Amino acid sequence: MLKVTNIGKRYGKFIALENINLEVADGEFLAIMGPSGSGKSTLINILGLLDQKYTGEYLLKDKSYKETNDNYLSKIRGDQLGFVFQNFKLLTTYSVYENIEVPLIYSKQKQTNKHALVEDVIKKVGLEGKEKNLPSELSGGQQQRVAIARAIVNRPNLIIADEPTGALDSKTSTEIMNIFTELNKTGTTIIMVTHDSEVADYAMRTVYIHDGHLYDDEKSVKK
Amino acid sequence: MIDKIMMALKSIDKNKNRNFLTMLGIIIGIASVICILAIGDGFTHVATKGMQNHNTKNKVTLEFTASSDEDTKSGFTRNDLAVLEGIKGVDHVKLTSSNPEASVTVQHKTKKTSATLNKSPKKLKLYKGFGTKVDAGDTGNIFISKDLADRAFKGKALNKSLVINDNVFVVRGIYKIGDFEYRPDIYVSKTIFKQLFASQISQDEAKISVNPSASKKAVGKSAVNEMKKFGEDAKLGKYSISHPDQISKSFTKTLNNITYFVAFVAGISLLIAGIGVMNVMYITVSERRKEIGIRRAFGATAGDIRNQFLIESIVLCLIGGLIGILLGYGVVSIINSFLPFKAMVTTYAIIMSLSVSTGVGLVFGFIPANKAAKSPLVGLLKEE
Ligand SMILES: Nc1ncnc2c1ncn2[C@@H]1O[C@H](COP(=O)(O)OP(=O)(O)OP(=O)(O)O)[C@@H](O)[C@H]1O
Ligand SMILES: [Mg+2]
Repeated sequence: MLKVTNIGKRYGKFIALENINLEVADGEFLAIMGPSGSGKSTLINILGLLDQKYTGEYLLKDKSYKETNDNYLSKIRGDQLGFVFQNFKLLTTYSVYENIEVPLIYSKQKQTNKHALVEDVIKKVGLEGKEKNLPSELSGGQQQRVAIARAIVNRPNLIIADEPTGALDSKTSTEIMNIFTELNKTGTTIIMVTHDSEVADYAMRTVYIHDGHLYDDEKSVKK
Repeated sequence: MIDKIMMALKSIDKNKNRNFLTMLGIIIGIASVICILAIGDGFTHVATKGMQNHNTKNKVTLEFTASSDEDTKSGFTRNDLAVLEGIKGVDHVKLTSSNPEASVTVQHKTKKTSATLNKSPKKLKLYKGFGTKVDAGDTGNIFISKDLADRAFKGKALNKSLVINDNVFVVRGIYKIGDFEYRPDIYVSKTIFKQLFASQISQDEAKISVNPSASKKAVGKSAVNEMKKFGEDAKLGKYSISHPDQISKSFTKTLNNITYFVAFVAGISLLIAGIGVMNVMYITVSERRKEIGIRRAFGATAGDIRNQFLIESIVLCLIGGLIGILLGYGVVSIINSFLPFKAMVTTYAIIMSLSVSTGVGLVFGFIPANKAAKSPLVGLLKEE
């Protein structure tokens, strides 16, 4: 699915990422763990084509998008990627239905039946009957379901989730992780950032970031 | 496109009060634009119509104004006509009357009263009696107004005789004069009018046609001077040149001044409105950084975001524009009762107003919309 070679990222003098190498296979479910401020979000922003200012090489489906123009990047994000964020990032004045519809508005592919696509993912995340509700009328877990539905409505190849359970209790976290596992089973590649090792256990593989460096297992992290 | 407009309406609706205040400038500006165009169009309409009606190109009208209000007989005479036609540069002269009615004294039995008289119109609706007009050759019969009938006969006038300037006539019909109508007291036949009364009507206007080579002004001046010297009624009144286009000229000037003033108000309020729109769009953009980030992450291009805010700014201005058009329409109907002509709100004016509104939204919305589109994505997604 993707291959990262020797990626680095600086904020001024501060080195946020250094010499990152990572490969993720199609259909994999990868967890990225690490303490706060270690560079997890910085890395997945690069993987999600949200941040183009880095050194090194990043290939998504064997293609580099470093020199790609902004409009084309938007299209790739809309068509191939799906994002789930820690604090849901829903449009607060829009209904559940309208939130989930957002990626379809910008998709240049011809969607013959947008309504059916939205209804389909609503069913998948178990939000039937809540279509007309505002996010503020939902529980945290339900809001994250909306965010997941929005991320998968365009049938992306890769889902990038930054602390998807960060704002949820453990029971709700389990429900969300079950949805992720189901998605992964149907072939969607998932990269998920978390600081919760129980959540990370749902993934096939876990990598660790510490002070901007990536490690394959916890023991090799230099203390 | 419709869903994008709906989206814009929704965001505008969310901040109704703030957006309405922003719209005020546009409303006033557009209302002013509507008024200017309505007055301008109305005036042009009247002016061009007037031009077609009487071609005053090479005509000078000389007027005689009698010193006494009661004097209805003095004016230009046949001799005066000869004098005027003798002036260098004059092609021909036509004498007319500003008021073609004759003033007469009527008598029934011993009761005398004064009345106005004219030749019978082609058709008249009678209140009492038969017929619709006094036939051209009918020398003995007349119609009189109900008002005169009441004054001279105490009502019962039909088939009674009336002495007008020593000639006897029989009243064959009585007509009523409506509230908004003007009619003389007596109608006589065309023949009788010519024979007995036409000479009593003062010919107080001389329409002088000027040779194309001669100057209207010079001819007018010498006509006034000649009449002062040789005019047979010179002692009974004054001669002057009437200037039909001079009236409209000074009127046009006033109108232009009003138009410039209103245009100035419109311009200023649209400018202020524009700045207001820009300000409110800046606020909107910074309030909605999170929304922009989300849309960008899910496939919106910078152009999509710019268009979203541009559409919002245009829709905001268009709503203001529509309210402005309605307000302008109201103001126009009010000022129409003060204007000597009818101001008209044309389709062109409405299209113009809507274009101006769109323009304001586009121009002043552009910079904030562009700012929204150009914001770096990672920063936007950190917003809550
Ligand atoms: N725009 C920025 N300018 C300067 N420094 C930044 C910026 N964004 C992030 N950083 C720094 O980079 C480091 C990594 O940040 P990042 O957001 O990737 O951490 P994280 O691992 O996601 O942490 P958390 O678990 O708290 O989300 C942090 O030390 C942070 O202070
Ligand atoms: Mg983070």
